Amino acid sequence: MNHMILQVVSKIMIPFIQVFGIYVVLFGHLSPGGGFAGGTILGVSLIFYRMVYGKAETRLKFPFELMMKMMCGALILYGVLKGYSFLTGGNHSYLPQLPLGTPGNILSGGYLLPLNVLVGITVTVTIYFLFTLFYEGEI
Amino acid sequence: MKIFSIIMILFLIGSSIAVSIMRNLLGAVIVFMTYSLVMAILWQQLNAPDLAITEAAIGAGVTTILFVLTLRKIRGVKK
Repeated sequence: MNHMILQVVSKIMIPFIQVFGIYVVLFGHLSPGGGFAGGTILGVSLIFYRMVYGKAETRLKFPFELMMKMMCGALILYGVLKGYSFLTGGNHSYLPQLPLGTPGNILSGGYLLPLNVLVGITVTVTIYFLFTLFYEGEI
Repeated sequence: MKIFSIIMILFLIGSSIAVSIMRNLLGAVIVFMTYSLVMAILWQQLNAPDLAITEAAIGAGVTTILFVLTLRKIRGVKK
């Protein structure tokens, strides 16, 4: 779609949507939200970009290889982190854990912040891929 | 707040019945979106803002886009 109004409005709106999504992901352990909700908002911003600017320009900015690498890396890291947390959580094997930090700070909650970020990346890419597969049949 | 919640619940029931008996597919999708939006407000009234954010993003945003794209693909939109 080559609509002038859409392009100008989206140029203003998309950064705000993305900042809100990143806020929801990063503050998921302190306030309402979390990896899934924030990842959905980020994915919707990518969908908006794709609908306004078309296939060719979106492929330059978010190529398939990069998105796939991000999603697979996030999934593998999630499995490793969560598995480590499960295995060393309660069996008195005094292995090093992530520090808990001060309550109320953003760097607190141990594993929650990295896990939220990883879930956010995965959900972002998944929502975007779902939309493109429905929209044009290819990513 | 109680009267507001009751009005919202009545609107929710009305829109869900309207979705199931409506003949026009595009209109049904749009009414379903309003159903989802009212549901998000109700989640907020029930002290679950987490679910409200998710419902507003998924139910009112992504699901509607996917439904409209499916309608376009199966040519269910009457001109």
